[in-house]
Amino acid sequence: MSGADILMTVKALLQPVFQALGLSPTLQTVVYAALSAAVVFNVAAGLTTFLVWMERKVSAHMQSRIGPKRVGPFGLLQTVADAIKLTIKEDVRPAHRDKIPYFLAPIIGFVAAFMGLVVIPFDRGFVVEDLNVGILYVVAITGFSVIGILMAGWSSNNKFSLLGGFRSAAQIVSYEVPLVLSVIPVIMVTGTLSLHHAVEYQAVNGWWFTSLRYAVPMAVAFMVFLTSATAEANRAPFDIPEAESELVAGFHTEYSGVKWAMFFLGEYIAVVVSSCVAVSLFLGGWLAPPGVDALFGMMHLPFLPGYLWFLLKLLVIIYFIMAFRWTFPRLRVDQLMDFGWKVLIPIAVLNILLTGLLVLGA
Amino acid sequence: MLGVLAKYVMDILKGFWNLVLGLSVTIKYFFLKTNTYQYPDERLPLPERSRSMIKLIYDGEKDQFNCVACMMCAKACPNSCIKLEGVRGADGKRRVTTFQLDFSTCIFCGYCVEACGFDALTFVSEEYENSVYHRGSLLQDEQAMKWVRPSHLSPPKEEKPVVAVPSAPLGASSVPPAQGASA
Repeated sequence: MSGADILMTVKALLQPVFQALGLSPTLQTVVYAALSAAVVFNVAAGLTTFLVWMERKVSAHMQSRIGPKRVGPFGLLQTVADAIKLTIKEDVRPAHRDKIPYFLAPIIGFVAAFMGLVVIPFDRGFVVEDLNVGILYVVAITGFSVIGILMAGWSSNNKFSLLGGFRSAAQIVSYEVPLVLSVIPVIMVTGTLSLHHAVEYQAVNGWWFTSLRYAVPMAVAFMVFLTSATAEANRAPFDIPEAESELVAGFHTEYSGVKWAMFFLGEYIAVVVSSCVAVSLFLGGWLAPPGVDALFGMMHLPFLPGYLWFLLKLLVIIYFIMAFRWTFPRLRVDQLMDFGWKVLIPIAVLNILLTGLLVLGA
Repeated sequence: MLGVLAKYVMDILKGFWNLVLGLSVTIKYFFLKTNTYQYPDERLPLPERSRSMIKLIYDGEKDQFNCVACMMCAKACPNSCIKLEGVRGADGKRRVTTFQLDFSTCIFCGYCVEACGFDALTFVSEEYENSVYHRGSLLQDEQAMKWVRPSHLSPPKEEKPVVAVPSAPLGASSVPPAQGASA
């Protein structure tokens, strides 16, 4: 039941529906695109529900405690309970808020995060829309969330929120640079901006760590990317903008209930999108690890479909991002800036130089 | 200049290594057993002399409280939580008639337990679930505080009184006093 099979089945089922409705080809494409976007959105939202539970369990076990265990089996329904609580919470709004930005900010933060999912290849051909500028699109969209944060900070009519908004804007803008720079070596080697093609390159030429020439620069690029991605998502140790002990709750202090939930969800989805990009560019996307397929063939085990390998790798990366949160102390805002500009950018630039030399040396 | 550059590079490498070490600790703990006691199904065993709840000891055999209303606990209490009365019985011995301890002001310092010379007050470490719905119920009388010591527990040991050693008469000391030492 590989990804390609699923796509074929769905397309075969939809064809008669389209014929019956008498839709033109353009409209068919539009409906199909909207449908796939809706599916991806729902799966991502469902995954986030799981990830919130996973974060609580992972953080608990790292601290020698248990985490949720009574709401549903293994506490799995805890996130559902939290979501219900958030929806029935009173919507407290500051009296002197700036009404339009206050209302729009969570929406922008939420939408900007989800838009990145459009170009992620979950399996061969299993993308909503494989834009040929995939990576550029993802980076641009993740930077878009800063508008939502600034709007939230400003419109709350609260000095702490404003400061939180400023710090977040500075942080996100600063870490965009190493994010893009760290991806450039991959682009240089694969010769394409499209995420789907990057995974195809790895399918043909093997995973990066098997390549004697490119293993080191890709490893460095991966680590810089992961660090910049956690900073982009405002996650610890880079969570000064929402530092609960410093700025009350930063830019989302004045948001309650569903509005806060949208910021929270946006943060998790940003983590998911960055991890998806990391998996696609650096860890071989939907590919099984080298040799595993042959092993499964020899042991007569069923092959895992591509999207399951993708999910597995995604969960490993997200586990590490969660481990970062519960291991490292929070960076002060000046240390944060220092780290982004004075450490990550030089490393990323030197990495580009190194990769360039290696590409030319072919 | 080269030194600055070398330090910069070494800082980055050392920093990276520290991050790896930190992660190794948390990830190691992720796989270790948790230390959680699942209250109320499991309870944390408290140490023997935990100051959980103060009880007035009732002697099952003699069918009376140990307390003789000497008022030492009431005097010792820093918050004046204890109020008690006693009468001299027909046999000439005093016994307590009413004993009230206001647990809403009690700080569980244990001065009353220490002050009591008749083994009448004690801490019972297992009883720590003392939350109430009405503040008034925290003013407990002797019936609420009544506690019979289980037979397997022994009363606190009576300490032997220290025999005072008479000091040598002044001026007759065989050991010269140390320079500048006070008595």
